[in-house]
Amino acid sequence: MMLFYVLLLALFNFGFRYVHAQYPSVLGYATDIRVRELLDLTNKKRSAIGLSQLKLDEKLSLAAAKKAQDMFSHDYWSHTSPQGKSPWEFIIASGYEYTMAGENLAKNFSNSDGVVEAWMASPTHKDNIVKPGYRDIGFAIVNGVLNGEETTLVVQMFGATNKKDSIALNPEPLTVGLQTETLGDQVPINVFEAASPEASYSPMSTLSSVIQAPKINIPTVTRDIVFIFLGFLIAILTIDAFVVSKRNIIRVAGHNGAHIMFLFALCFALFLVKRGVLL
Amino acid sequence: MKRKWIEVVNLSILAVILLLTVFLFWQVRDSRVMQIIVGLLLSLLYVTWGLIHHAMLGDLYPKVVVEYLLVGAIAMTLIFTVVWVN
Repeated sequence: MMLFYVLLLALFNFGFRYVHAQYPSVLGYATDIRVRELLDLTNKKRSAIGLSQLKLDEKLSLAAAKKAQDMFSHDYWSHTSPQGKSPWEFIIASGYEYTMAGENLAKNFSNSDGVVEAWMASPTHKDNIVKPGYRDIGFAIVNGVLNGEETTLVVQMFGATNKKDSIALNPEPLTVGLQTETLGDQVPINVFEAASPEASYSPMSTLSSVIQAPKINIPTVTRDIVFIFLGFLIAILTIDAFVVSKRNIIRVAGHNGAHIMFLFALCFALFLVKRGVLL
Repeated sequence: MKRKWIEVVNLSILAVILLLTVFLFWQVRDSRVMQIIVGLLLSLLYVTWGLIHHAMLGDLYPKVVVEYLLVGAIAMTLIFTVVWVN
């Protein structure tokens, strides 16, 4: 009977992958993330503690878009590319001359609220959102395949600048803080390069939202089926243990109590699994 | 009486193993690969615990071994389903 369950679950896994690959509009990942919502939610968090609102900046959004494209084309999930390209290089290349800058990344969240709440729950990402010195913000939301996995990437870039419309050819070395768990707080990076303005393309129209509404949402259905199955298994084992104990049945079998403990631990562990990841 | 003690001690050890592994699972929540590895560890530790427990009680029969292996396999399939397909 247990072998049947294993085979059934394996079939369910392969079936899901096959249907998703063939009919993504029927079985897929529901996503609704919009720049306008991310901006409003970020500004709400700042307003709540008396900070000024951030302005959506086209150059920072361009930098965010270029960063997202770079992550997909070089297949990495990191603040710094495998070629050693830092977020600041994208910002400079976009023509935004910053005095301070920061970057938050998120992937695979299903809605804007989830992204901002997750950033706020992470001290290092929150530091970026509520940093008083920032004046401008840029976003990119892009769908693609990262490390072989269908991914919705959100890049949020913060900045403050003295000269809005000029690009310094010999900027002074700047110290900026990249506040992430991976790189640690306030990693000093000296920027000596002059900006190369390649800002000839506007990302705003194509990267302002990712909205997908499949008929069946994979994370919801998967979780429902798995937890119903675990509940069913625990119920059967509990009834079995009760009957065996009541009727004093002697048999060769495993420890039902241990199985139940293990399945509860498994339930708890699986409950902790979340799709959205920050960096 | 001795059998009772073995049950109590072994179940307590199992509880500690499960708590620690679930905590580890939470610690690696940002990496799918690590969650699969910790999930595999959870299943392997449980199967090992089951085999040692029944060996100590003197009732480690092939049927019991298969039962623990299948429970471990179900756990791994469920972990893979939620962590990978999800």
